[in-house]
Parts: sequence; C-alpha cells; structure tokens
Amino acid sequence: MAVRWWRRFAVRGVFWRQYLDFGVTNVPFYLVPMTVFFWTIFFFFVAIPARRAVLSNLRIIHPGASRLTNYLRTWLTFHHFAWTIVDAADHKIAGREFAYEVEGEEYLTQLGRAPGAILLTAHMGSYDLGAAIFAQRYGRPIRMVRVPEADEQTAAHLDASLERSGAGAVKVAYNTSSMALPLELLNAIRAGEIVSIQGDRPVTHASQRETRLFGEVVRLPDGPFMLGFVAEAPIFPLFIVRTGYHHYRIIARPPIHCSRSAGERDVAIARAMENWSQILEDMIAAHWGQWFSFVPIFLPAKR
Amino acid sequence: MRPQFGFAFALSRLLARLSGRKVCRAQWSGLEAYGVCLLVFGISCVSAGRVLPLVVRPGILRVALFAALPVILWGGFLLLYYVLSLVIHLFRRLGLYSAATNAPLQQLFFASLTTILSFFLLRSGSGWLQSLGILWLGLLALNLISIVVERLFDPA
Repeated sequence: MAVRWWRRFAVRGVFWRQYLDFGVTNVPFYLVPMTVFFWTIFFFFVAIPARRAVLSNLRIIHPGASRLTNYLRTWLTFHHFAWTIVDAADHKIAGREFAYEVEGEEYLTQLGRAPGAILLTAHMGSYDLGAAIFAQRYGRPIRMVRVPEADEQTAAHLDASLERSGAGAVKVAYNTSSMALPLELLNAIRAGEIVSIQGDRPVTHASQRETRLFGEVVRLPDGPFMLGFVAEAPIFPLFIVRTGYHHYRIIARPPIHCSRSAGERDVAIARAMENWSQILEDMIAAHWGQWFSFVPIFLPAKR
Repeated sequence: MRPQFGFAFALSRLLARLSGRKVCRAQWSGLEAYGVCLLVFGISCVSAGRVLPLVVRPGILRVALFAALPVILWGGFLLLYYVLSLVIHLFRRLGLYSAATNAPLQQLFFASLTTILSFFLLRSGSGWLQSLGILWLGLLALNLISIVVERLFDPA
C-alpha cells in the first residue's frame, strides 16, 4: 500500500528528522538555543500522546507535585529531548565534539575489556551519542537493539544516522517478535561483541515480566537478563545524561551478574531485574527530566 | 588530552587564558551560546518592535503583533535559514564555497545583520536602545581584536 504523503509530517515522521539535519547544518550555533526553545513549545502542544505519557509518568515520580509543576516538568523533559537529538545530529553531521565526564570509570573500563557483554541502558539522555562515544573510545563495536520506529522512512533515517555517528562501529538490530534476534544476540556476545539494550520499556510481543518502580507495578523486558543468564555475560548498566550546554556525563554502575551460580533461572532473573529496577529508579529520580519515556510505563493500579 | 574549557569566540578564549586557564576552540560554553543568542534575538526583536508602529495602526492588531513578535521573528529566522541555504547551495555549485556545513556563512550573515541593526539602534535616540547597540558593537570589536591577538601569539 502506498505510504500517504502526509505521514511524513506526523510527529514521528521522517520530515522532522530531515529538518533536524537541515537545522544542524544551517542554524548558527549561537541561535540554536532560541530555535530549540521555540520548537520545544511547538512539539509540547502538537505531540499530545507523548506529552500525556510523560505527564503520567511524572505523576508517579513526583506524587505530591501540583498539576502545573508536572506540566512544567513535562516541558523541561521535551526541552532536554530536543537538545539531545540536536546534539546527536550535530555529532553525526558536523562531527561536533562534546565535553563529557565519566562517573564509574572502573566499570566502563571493565565493560571495554569484557569479552562480550550486555550494556543495559534506558531511554535516558543521549543514548545514541553514548553508544557512539563508547564505540569510538574503546574501539569496540556495539550492536544496539532498538524498538522499531512506527514510520519506515524514519527508521531507515535513524539507522543510517546511528551507523554514521558510530563510524560503522554501531550496528542496529530491531526488537521484533522474531525468534531470530535472541540467537543473533547470543552469537554476537559469544563472539565478543557488546550488545546494547534499553531496559526501561517493554515491547509488545517481546518477553517481559512485572517488577516495581517507584512502588508501582511496571512491566520491563526480561530479555537482557535471559541473555545474560544463557551467555554467562555480565550486564553493565550505563547511562548518559546531559549536564549542560554540550556537556554530558556517562554514568556506569556495577555490573549485574545473572548467572547459573545465582540459583534457578527464574530466581536469578528475578533478582537481577530487582537490582536493575533499583538502579533505574535511582537514575530516574535524579534525572527525571531526561527520561524520554514517551509512552505510559506504569500499569494502572489493580483495584 | 583536550583542555576542560572550550570557547567558540576568540574573546572568551583570550579572557580565559588571561585568567590562567587552559582552553581550546570548542562550542562548550553555555554562557557564550545563550548570551549571544539573547543578544542577537533581542536586538532583532527590539528593531522589529521599533518598525512595527510605522506600518501597523494603533489598535488590537498592533497589540497582538507586539505580543506575537518573538514567534513571528522565529518564523522569519527559519525562513531566512532556508533562503540562505539556497544561496549557499548556489555558491557550492559555482565552486565558491566548500565547507562541510552551511553554518559558517549563516553565522556571518546573522552577525552582519545584527551589526547593521545595532548601528540603527545607535541612531534611535533612546538611551537603553543605544546601550544595546553599543554592547553588541563593543563585543564585536573586542572579539575581532582577540582574533588578531590570538593569531599573533598562538598561531596554532
């Protein structure tokens, strides 16, 4: 079926990605703050489902806050998102270098030396930029697992962007219902590659289980932990957050071991997921404005 | 290893060096980006605000246009980026321009535009508008001097 032309202009349409590339190559750097500011306002009003999702997530993170405060926080989240995608595009197209510091350098070094590992991250800060920086710094290829984009053209554009920003060291694999992906990832880890997975949002048809975040029930993907269990590979939680204008902080946490020595498979996975949810909760609490979860994560309370 | 501080403008780099810091040429300073952004956009807004009463009669429309001026100017800037990109495209085809991105020429254009508007503000007769123009022109002159100083003492 022919793709309707107007889908290009939908919020997740390819037009905006192409326009972003245009902006990065044409807007003087000293006018970017103003441009980002106005576009944030535009998308804050246009991207209604995303705005509602962020707002509903923020209500759980900040239960005592007023509606207006959480609306302002939602706007700030959109603003951070705008900056991170601008920076990622700037890195990809103009080769812009960013200032970054590392928290948990020892874990990052361990990850860089690991003979095959899982890099567990979240839709937080500039994960695309983080993967590219890591791949370049340690000279290690990364296989990044992503949720497929709803728009095919946008997906193709993003793939090309990621692979270009990682100078060929970042390969994209899509998280679909296909059974081939887990085997492909297992083989990649066994071959010494690093597999990057976002573990803060379940994907339809992909394996997931319930855990707790901010005292609420959420469903998170358990695939990374199953993979860690089968491959006997360490799982490194890693985040990259924006700390200021063109400044980032890479935050690495101690590896999670989900191995056979930890007991039965289900027990080991449950324990590892509990560990991961605690790390994720701490990160979100500290950097709520950079948790780009544009779908509601928390399940409605069971009554 | 690259220094911790990076500035895009020669004036900022020179001031940082004079205060004993090691700096490099990089767009890492939020103060620079946000400060110059406010100044350029502010001068454009003020200049447009001065012209508006000359072309729009007093009334609701004028009030509405004044209120929407920043958004209208933002739209105008977007249009200018596009028109300039077409001109730069033409330059590329003629072999007159070959930089990786269009940003350097766009930066030059907007800096020149702000300089011209600053000269008009100098002739406005209003004290604070004149000081805004003087601020831009002063910073521009200091930055040009800093470029020369940087070239003389640190050719790398």
